[in-house]
Amino acid sequence: MAERAAGTDADSASGSRARFGDRDVGTLATYLAGALFWGWIFLRWLNDWSGGVFVPARQAFVPPSLFRGVAAGVPVVGGAFEALAFAFEYAPALVNALWLTVVLTVVSIALGFVIAVPLAASRVYGRVSAWVSVAYIELLRGTPLLAQLFVLYYGFPWLTRFFRGLPGVGQGVLPGQAVFVAVIGFTLNSAAYQAEYIRGAIESVAPGQLVAARSVGLSRVEGVRFVVLPQALRYAIPGWTNELVYLVKYSSLAAFITVPELFRAAQNIASSNYRYTSMFVLAAVLYLGVVVTATNLMEYVGRRVAVPGISGGEGR
Amino acid sequence: MSSESPSDPPLLRVEDLYKRYGDEEVLNGVSFDMDAQDVQVLVGPSGSGKSTLLRCVNRLTEFEGGRIALDGTPTDEMDENDLRRQVGMVFQDFNLFAHLTAKRNVMLGLRRVRGHSKEEAEARALEELEQVGLGDQADSYPAELSGGQQQRVGIARALAMDPKLMLFDEPTSALDPELIGEVLGVMRDLADQGMTMLCVTHEMGFARQVATDIMFLEGGHLVEHGPPEQLFENPRHERTAQFLDRLTSLHGGDHG
Amino acid sequence: MPCPVPVPGGLSADWRYVFENACYLGDGLAVTLALTAASLVVGFAAGLPAGVAEVYGRQSDSAPVRWVGRAVRNAGVVLRGTPIVVIIMLAYFSFGISPAFLAATAALGFRSAAYQTQIFRGAIESVGAGQMEAARSVGMSKYQSIRHVVLPQALRRSVPGFQNEVTIVLKDTSIAFAIGLAELLTKSYDLFQSVGHTTAIFELILVVSAAYFVLTFAANRSLEALNEAVSVPGGERG
Repeated sequence: MAERAAGTDADSASGSRARFGDRDVGTLATYLAGALFWGWIFLRWLNDWSGGVFVPARQAFVPPSLFRGVAAGVPVVGGAFEALAFAFEYAPALVNALWLTVVLTVVSIALGFVIAVPLAASRVYGRVSAWVSVAYIELLRGTPLLAQLFVLYYGFPWLTRFFRGLPGVGQGVLPGQAVFVAVIGFTLNSAAYQAEYIRGAIESVAPGQLVAARSVGLSRVEGVRFVVLPQALRYAIPGWTNELVYLVKYSSLAAFITVPELFRAAQNIASSNYRYTSMFVLAAVLYLGVVVTATNLMEYVGRRVAVPGISGGEGR
Repeated sequence: MSSESPSDPPLLRVEDLYKRYGDEEVLNGVSFDMDAQDVQVLVGPSGSGKSTLLRCVNRLTEFEGGRIALDGTPTDEMDENDLRRQVGMVFQDFNLFAHLTAKRNVMLGLRRVRGHSKEEAEARALEELEQVGLGDQADSYPAELSGGQQQRVGIARALAMDPKLMLFDEPTSALDPELIGEVLGVMRDLADQGMTMLCVTHEMGFARQVATDIMFLEGGHLVEHGPPEQLFENPRHERTAQFLDRLTSLHGGDHG
Repeated sequence: MPCPVPVPGGLSADWRYVFENACYLGDGLAVTLALTAASLVVGFAAGLPAGVAEVYGRQSDSAPVRWVGRAVRNAGVVLRGTPIVVIIMLAYFSFGISPAFLAATAALGFRSAAYQTQIFRGAIESVGAGQMEAARSVGMSKYQSIRHVVLPQALRRSVPGFQNEVTIVLKDTSIAFAIGLAELLTKSYDLFQSVGHTTAIFELILVVSAAYFVLTFAANRSLEALNEAVSVPGGERG
């Protein structure tokens, strides 16, 4: 049930430091790096959406030519400046595409959650509906995500046509039709995984809780809604973090149904400048930044909503 | 005490032992000797450093100051694995290897440390299990045994290495009261056979009847050290009297 | 499977197309299975020592050992934080690993190693400290204690985690599509993208999904059986 588990230790690299002083400095450095990373990204998005208030869209704030040729011929240092120039030249286009990666992830996990809660509840508490839930969950978890995207995109051409026909799709702020298809795919897939995390969490709430809820006169549904779920959803946070990290990474599969997200953007640029390694490493750095942020953010949320005295805030 | 010539070194000599965890001083200059066949019982309030002292003897814990010598050889000059082979240890929570049967628990050290063949090791293991009264449980896994049985396997495991000295770290504290007797019985038999034993225990009945000496440790200091009659009847320190009185009323039962 | 597969009568054109190409798909299935197995072996071979290094590296007195432990941890963070498709592309295009099968094995294998490291690390840490102490107290060296006492217990406890990992790797072999490796999904893609057969996508994806589903199911059941078989009688209270 803990599928995709074990992805949440992105910050444990610094975890072995024992003294508090070191840790505070480490935390501060992490926050600072995070603020810098996201500040830069938001500024870029703002610039590109507004048609280029600071610099023309998809162009670096600092001209890459500044680094080009610096210390040319000097081993290592010259190479480092060359790499810097390269990064400054192509990062803006990738950050532009990162927007779609973030949209795919956030929208899909949110919509998936809405489906996952009833799915999980019916798997635990339902009769006939439990079988429907099991069938759905096992089917979606038992087949590759890429195959699921292919079914939606190539198998239901009317779906793509429908989204293309909607007013405003592909123009202005609304992304193209393929993005909508991808969101549907990720939502349906994520709902199945989230449902399993939530089911595990529901089952870890002591059965006495529901009995106690019924004994004060709540109905079964009310008991689940007001007593079991508020506890279960807290327990589900670690699993939910895994799911978020998973979606960030697997949103890259949308590239194969033509969505111009981060990975596809990197691939497109690489196929014209032939700098495959540099482009994919640059993309990997951006993915890594998002994943580490997501992990730290969820740990923070977990600590904030933890019930005092119950482990979960200090878990793992 | 045994009657060896005065030039022979004691089996165990602990000299001016100091140990601290961070700022906390756990052992503050502890010294004592043990001769072969001695049974010394170590008592004291929790946190007084008893377990730490045992762990310093077989170097599961390193210490900052002082010397420990086994048979005249300073332990810090010995290979630590060789030292531990010669010093058996029995733990409060048994620590049987959870994935091995009783027999294989005893065999593991024989095979890997003493280099016995499988047949030799098996024969010896069965012999040791017989000795602690568990010949019929040789193929049981730890989780299938009672606490008392597990602890007896733990003793057999240590004995199989032919130790010169056995360390017992509160061997009965984790046991239900009705299971304490069987473990103390095995320990009493061992003492009768002449095993040298250093025991941390609160079982005052055992201490009175079996110990050659009792040591009272408090705050990292050896407050008092002497034969049971002296400590129980004529303690030199008020603290010793108070502590032993309280222990006797709690753990004075004459198990086994 | 007899090749070619006899095509039953009375089928729709699309189903006939699937049957006619059964052997073509069968080859893809074989590649998928081989890729899954090879990646898991690489993942295990690298992941188990890495798991041990993560746990014992950080406690070590020797600076180089601690350094190795830290390097392993950081490599793991990077491998777990990067999309598998990017790792596959890097293996194929940047490291120039060829043929595509080897590139995919390296990518899926080392990514899996990063996850298996976590599985084994967790399992090793769940074995109580008393086990190590007891092993050391009969005179076994640290290496012997890890090898004969800690790992046998940790490996048993890692079976459920390993089960998840197997199904993840199995499904992610499909992403080798990105470098054109002729595994099951790529083969079906080629079939429904060929002119005149685009309507066969449902039949094809149905067959392919069923194959993945059966494989995941079989993997899950057999590892559950393995878990039963290796469990210690009476449970473990290590």
